[in-house]
Amino acid sequence: MNKRLENILKKPNGFHHHSYVPEVANKFVKGEVDRREFLRTATLLGVSLPAAYSFIGHVTGKSAFPKARAAGKRGGTFRMAMEVQEIGDPATYDWTQKSNVARWMVEYLTRTGSDNVTVPYLARGWEASDDLKTWTLHLQEGVKWSNGDDFNADDVVHNFTRWLDPAVGSSNLSLFSAMTDEVEVTRNGEKRMETRMREGAVEKIDDHTVRLHMKSAQLAVPENLYNYPAAIVHRRFDEEGGNLANNPVGTGPYSLERFSVGGDAMLRRREGYWGEEPLLDAIHYIDTGSDRSAMMAAIASSQVDAIYEVDVTQVDTLESIPGVVLHSGLTAQTAVCRMQVDKAPFDDVRVREAITASIDNQQILDLGYRGLGTAAENHHVGPMHPEYAELPRLKQDHDKAKRLLAEAGYPDGLTISIDVGQTQGPWELATVQAMREQLAPSGITLDINTMPAAQYWDIWTTTPFGLTAWTHRPLGVMVLNLAYRKGQSWNESNYDNPEFEKALDEANGLLDADERRKKMESVQTILQDDHVMVQSFWRDNFVATRDYVKDYSVHPTQYHQFEKVWLDK
Amino acid sequence: MLIFITRRIGTMALTMLVVSLLLFLLLELNPGSVATKVLGPYSTEEQRRIWLEAHGYFDPLYERYFRWLTDFIRGDFGESTRFKVPVGDILWPRLGNTAILGLAVMAVVVPLSLTLGVLAGMKEGSSLDRGISISSIFFTSIPEFASAVFLASIFVFWLGWLPGTSGMSDGFDLRQLVLPVMVLVIYAFGYTVRMTRASMAEVMMTNYIRTAVLKGLPWRTVITKHALRNALIAPFTVLMLQINWLLSGVIVVEFFFAYKGFGALLLEASLNQDIFLIEACAMVAVFVAVGTQFVADVGYTYLNPRIRFS
Repeated sequence: MNKRLENILKKPNGFHHHSYVPEVANKFVKGEVDRREFLRTATLLGVSLPAAYSFIGHVTGKSAFPKARAAGKRGGTFRMAMEVQEIGDPATYDWTQKSNVARWMVEYLTRTGSDNVTVPYLARGWEASDDLKTWTLHLQEGVKWSNGDDFNADDVVHNFTRWLDPAVGSSNLSLFSAMTDEVEVTRNGEKRMETRMREGAVEKIDDHTVRLHMKSAQLAVPENLYNYPAAIVHRRFDEEGGNLANNPVGTGPYSLERFSVGGDAMLRRREGYWGEEPLLDAIHYIDTGSDRSAMMAAIASSQVDAIYEVDVTQVDTLESIPGVVLHSGLTAQTAVCRMQVDKAPFDDVRVREAITASIDNQQILDLGYRGLGTAAENHHVGPMHPEYAELPRLKQDHDKAKRLLAEAGYPDGLTISIDVGQTQGPWELATVQAMREQLAPSGITLDINTMPAAQYWDIWTTTPFGLTAWTHRPLGVMVLNLAYRKGQSWNESNYDNPEFEKALDEANGLLDADERRKKMESVQTILQDDHVMVQSFWRDNFVATRDYVKDYSVHPTQYHQFEKVWLDK
Repeated sequence: MLIFITRRIGTMALTMLVVSLLLFLLLELNPGSVATKVLGPYSTEEQRRIWLEAHGYFDPLYERYFRWLTDFIRGDFGESTRFKVPVGDILWPRLGNTAILGLAVMAVVVPLSLTLGVLAGMKEGSSLDRGISISSIFFTSIPEFASAVFLASIFVFWLGWLPGTSGMSDGFDLRQLVLPVMVLVIYAFGYTVRMTRASMAEVMMTNYIRTAVLKGLPWRTVITKHALRNALIAPFTVLMLQINWLLSGVIVVEFFFAYKGFGALLLEASLNQDIFLIEACAMVAVFVAVGTQFVADVGYTYLNPRIRFS
């Protein structure tokens, strides 16, 4: 690679953002990594998006810059049917819907697009140390809060500090656990271990530079910074009431004009936004309840321009309504029927294997989700993840299942029960019903215990066998770090395998996607061979809009990015 | 009469106290779930424990009950975990919306069912009576969820005449009220028609009506002056019960049409285990139940002198 090309990717001081940048650039030049992988890795390591695009353009001879925005009409109010939930404290959000209202007011340090590539946002760039333990964030300058204050490093430090305070109750505590320690505290005369932010974990370098210090290699810091509870609130957020709905101060392009939980949220474009102005004058979220058929009725009678989510059972009906357009996209959203490996009868790996051996994942996809997705392989990493390693296809084998059950002490079969909360829709029940039919020939009777979604969320980490819906994450390692490590609060299967964690640690520290893929092969294989879960499919996501809604694209995590959306009416 | 009313009010208060205790015990015995509701399913055990400590959930049960009860009597219903606002801020507007829906339903049901019931009961066994009776049984037997789907299919998806949801996010819209009212009227009117008809038919068989007819009074006078007042006693009770039903029995309709009423709120609160909201909604529902029963009892004594003078 010649010096001129390499210079495009360097910082103004002549150094690279990370020692791996020239290597990945070299691989791109040789054709060993594709455009998307290069873009993803280079931006992850802090190369600015224009520099990465410019580099691709020079190498391929074609402009790689995304097409300029279509000459869409400016103006109009975009009405979307979606549950309007409370939006008090962004750090404690537990539903994407909450963040979708708030994200127009409070913004994130990074941003992952619908193409799964994470790019700078409130952070204009970043650098990672070679060991991926130190991340330096360079913040945008000239950004104003809606109250007139300057956005600066104090805001970012304040946010990290509150995220990592257990009393705040933010799920970011688990996400950034590499910035915390367990310390012994005494409360009411009782000694106990509590999580605390590590001393010096967040360091303010200057007004627009913040450095994060991790205790272990962290590959996905930019991706985690776009996780929905990671919106940046003003440094005086807590002093001013700690409630975004009552005090909607933000850096975003819209301001909150009207808000009522369970009612509606009206956001209107504000003057003086620092970034590119969106086309829509206003965004109006209208709550039609949790009943998906009400959403369908609302779009059919043009009461709304779009609906947040289409249940798979409604796809045919919506396609037949004149003037309604269905949008879909492959995502890493999935349902995991995980077994707690320390609770009988699932503490016997032969029982778990008998269950997974009885299942044909493609058939479960066809019956449970009408085939609208991709079959999965019981290890929670999929083809949409850059580090996914393809493993040999799983085979359904009832004889093997029966033999394993007999060896485990159940020669006459076994009765088990699964908890289902249908937290993401009725397809969850259809999925376990299909599983029940497939388990029966192996002598396994599956009792299905359905319950309201809220009740399932009470027991999702304690039930021995349950179906849990997991959302999309851009990297495969992200969900494995959260859900299958010993001691992690989201480890719902109580999985504990040092060999797996060692392999995962190694994968976490590898920037080279090919190398990481090789390591992921063993990570995925260990998890698959331990038969922790039946994970049958990755499901497509569906959104419906009226036909005059233009340039709408489905985001895999259902995060709303309407900057390019316009109304042709 | 004063003793009668005082006794009734005392019974009301006692009923509500017992219900409040049962509710509290049922809902608050597992405080861990309250913390999960507030902090979300992804919170850690440690975060939940800190929250529970800070909000007094480790205090003895009786202390928490009396604290809750005194707050409740003072009008402080606590804060909704789902809405994150004081319960009263959501409860009263939702109750108001259901009252609007209920009034609209009653405005149709009362004249319609009384007229049809009286017409049917005037001449028992006539073809008019049979027609009204069969159609009212037919409509009452259709569950609300079925008629809601059926009517929405016709008026929203097929003809496109009416809006599919009734959230009224841009202010009151009469058109959005049409479908929920239609569904509720279809379900509710038949029962009142049947009760009015039975009551009317019974009155028409009495000796004093026969006397009135035989002494040559015009038919209209016999019906309006002699038969109606006695025939309305039974439907009056039924209508009082309908008010009670309209408050919490409209869950299906409110949910289906996304109408922001009390029924939908109760369902949302239950599905999300929003404990303070469930407690307040249940207490309001019980209050309305015993309140309407009280009004029915007093009204009954007014309409039926035999009770008044006994």
